[in-house]
Amino acid sequence: MKRALLGAAVAGAVLLPFLPLALWAFSQRWFYPQLLPEQWGLRAWRYVLGTAGPQMTEALVQSVLVAAAVAVLSVAGGIPAGRLLGLYHFRGKDLLSIVLMLPIIVPPLCVAMGLHLWLLRLEMTATFAGVVLVHLSACLPYAVFVMWGVFSNYNLDFEDQARSLGASALDVVGRVMLPLIFPGIVVAALFAFLLSWSQYLSTLIIGGGKIITLPILLFALMGSGDRPVAAAVSIVFVIPALAALAVSARYLGSRRVLGVW
Amino acid sequence: MGILQLDDLTIAYGAETVIRGLHLEVAEGELVSLLGPSGAGKTSVLKAVAGLLAPAGGDIRIDGRSVRGLPPEKRSAVMVFQKPLLFPFMNVAQNIGFGLRMLAVAPAEARERIRDIIALTRLTGLAGRRPHEISGGQQQRVALARALVLKPSILLLDEPLSSLDANLRQQMRELIQDIQAETRVSTLLVTHDQSEALMLSHRIGLLLDGRLRQVGTPHDLFHRPADRAVAEFFGGCNFLTGRLRGGLFDCELGSFPAPGVMANGHRLTATIRPEDILVGGDSGHPIPGRVRKTSFEGATTRLWVDCGAVQLVVLTPRSDLTPGQPIHLRLPAEKIRVFPPE
Amino acid sequence: MTRPVGHSTTARTRPLMRPAAVWLLAPALAVVVLLFGGGLALGLVQGLGYLPAAGMSALTLEHFHRVLSDPDFFKSLAFTLYLALASTLVAVAISVAAALALNRLAGRSRLIQFIFQIPLTVPHLVIAVAVVFMLAPSGLLARGLHHLGLLPAGSGFPLLVNDPWGVGIMAAYVWKEVPFITLMVLAVLQASGAELLDVGRTLKAGRWQRFRHITLPIIFPSLGAAGLIVFAYMFGAFEIPYLLGQTYPMMLPVWAYKAYSDVDLLARPEGIAAGLVIAAVVAAAVALAQGLVQAARRRGAVL
Repeated sequence: MKRALLGAAVAGAVLLPFLPLALWAFSQRWFYPQLLPEQWGLRAWRYVLGTAGPQMTEALVQSVLVAAAVAVLSVAGGIPAGRLLGLYHFRGKDLLSIVLMLPIIVPPLCVAMGLHLWLLRLEMTATFAGVVLVHLSACLPYAVFVMWGVFSNYNLDFEDQARSLGASALDVVGRVMLPLIFPGIVVAALFAFLLSWSQYLSTLIIGGGKIITLPILLFALMGSGDRPVAAAVSIVFVIPALAALAVSARYLGSRRVLGVW
Repeated sequence: MGILQLDDLTIAYGAETVIRGLHLEVAEGELVSLLGPSGAGKTSVLKAVAGLLAPAGGDIRIDGRSVRGLPPEKRSAVMVFQKPLLFPFMNVAQNIGFGLRMLAVAPAEARERIRDIIALTRLTGLAGRRPHEISGGQQQRVALARALVLKPSILLLDEPLSSLDANLRQQMRELIQDIQAETRVSTLLVTHDQSEALMLSHRIGLLLDGRLRQVGTPHDLFHRPADRAVAEFFGGCNFLTGRLRGGLFDCELGSFPAPGVMANGHRLTATIRPEDILVGGDSGHPIPGRVRKTSFEGATTRLWVDCGAVQLVVLTPRSDLTPGQPIHLRLPAEKIRVFPPE
Repeated sequence: MTRPVGHSTTARTRPLMRPAAVWLLAPALAVVVLLFGGGLALGLVQGLGYLPAAGMSALTLEHFHRVLSDPDFFKSLAFTLYLALASTLVAVAISVAAALALNRLAGRSRLIQFIFQIPLTVPHLVIAVAVVFMLAPSGLLARGLHHLGLLPAGSGFPLLVNDPWGVGIMAAYVWKEVPFITLMVLAVLQASGAELLDVGRTLKAGRWQRFRHITLPIIFPSLGAAGLIVFAYMFGAFEIPYLLGQTYPMMLPVWAYKAYSDVDLLARPEGIAAGLVIAAVVAAAVALAQGLVQAARRRGAVL
């Protein structure tokens, strides 16, 4: 009984902010002080998917591409680093832990402002690659931490056993390690994707207004004061995040990924 | 002070009843072991006495007063768990003094009691160390000290030696023996290790399938088991079936006196321990047999001997016997235990 | 995020034998050093006056000096510190209660834990938008109160967004960060809490005593580290204060960006300098957090 109450309280608190979003997104006319929309409608969606369609699509595609590229690169760099940190101890490991955590917590704002100069020199501002790089600075360390957690629960004996059964180093990587850490890879990729997906300021600074991602579009729409449209775009913006969580929850259940937390 | 009475105790986990109708008493100053295979529900008995688990039925009385409904912190029983579970953020002295702090014992008195118990549990010099800085055996002693310092009416020990390796176990057994002898704290100890129970206990209660099969001194359980299950638990394996005729137990191997058993004509089971069977000699009625298999076990050798239709297992100091060799065995009458009819 | 907890009993780190294995770290380290470190270093250089676009290339402390003596900067700094600190404390208090409740009642419920993780993945912008929709004078809360007859239409509703106390900002931060802290604390409680509490009970500790003498010391390192990280995160966040904050005093990240993107190029180094101050505060908090966790581990805590 108490557990049901707790569950309801948690669900209520967590899901509450989604309520006004949903209400606004599907409202046609909703003036103060009405508690519920006087008129429901799909105007916002027609705008988002229709009129602003090309703009939305472009921003959506851009966001997906950037985030996907960042995810792939983050996992590629995260696996070896996570393996080293998860399996071995060595001097300076503690310091390294701090160094790796800084890029995640230090706001991308600080990094982007400085990096802009360098990317300007390399003529990489307002380019896809430039934005990917600036996102990578925060997303790759994140992936490292996820893989660190995965490798903390990794049993190296499996690899030793495979070698003793005649497997080559490449075999071990491809047929033993990767399958074993696969859930972790999925989670790391999802989290890196999500982090890149939600980036606003760093994309704005480096993208220079040429690379338009979904958050940048959303910001502009919020400024216009059109609440239904802003709500609709918010929902589109948040759906991949929730989907990613659902997928990784399936994997996070597995004992091998428990180390993430 | 320090009397425990378990009255018709029943404990259930969800739909499964693990302990039913348990009657057991621990008298003042006594160490009673609850012995049984792993997973038999023994730990749940301790938890029920400690107050960490609510029994499904029956009563628990400490010093004559029922404690059902009383929370653990108000009971005069303290439990020591299978793992040391020392508080990682406190040193040894602080761990030991934890309960004294909870009971708001005056600091001066607490310090003295802690000092005494550290000496008793042979932890001198380790007072300032942290749990991760001391060995597993030392941690277990700290856990013991932490409980003893509270001078509980009943001390509850859950498999205190199972997390230690073999040679540490012997040391710890001796320590528990010494401590119990010195403090005379009434103790209920739970274990699956029979040598532990035999060595430490004043009395043993053997728990099989949730029921108490026999309660008695170690000697009773070992040499006069109540039934076949008890005998098997202690390694008995020679079971003979026969009938009682005219005061004698009649079986395939011959007739033996069976004093004290009144059940003429019934089919009965008897047992004799492997180490009680004698090899060789011609006095009495030697039983002929042939050695089928031998196993050298150090101080003794185990023999599997075919005696006609019956196979006997013998534990003998002799190591010169070989498979296929014909031998004679003698079963001393006083070592044969005939079970009362069920 | 502190170092992950190893749950498996076979998880033991081996000593590093082959130094060549350090190459495993190369890609990650390259990114951190070149992109992150490089970004900060270049920021520093610009903060010290290197501004080729405006023809300046001499290094000078003039910009830092100007920023640090600007009263607006200090107002922003103070406001940001206050809000981050207050939000962190509120979030910590709620998280401890939530973790204890979840541990006792829903330790094994995957559904509740899943729901609880949702705020972790929701982008800041979305929660900021949602908070506006809920707490603005024309928001859902005001309409609800009016509907219940507690508020006359059009007036009386307190300013909760773009307000001097940052209530809207605090609400958004608390919603977003409570799950993170709670899950960190819950992990520790589930790893070692239950049995130690039983030990406490048999050693005569009452309910409050168990909380104060056993639970709190056990969760303190994780709680402290999570709190510091959350503080650092809130201190440097941009989107939420931008949408929910007021125009004066601005929170520091907003102030920094506004200066950086100002038409007046000379304001740029000031923005960067402010950004570096943010980075310094955040780095200090992160270092403290990790220090806390590592010290606790050395003292034998299971983290």
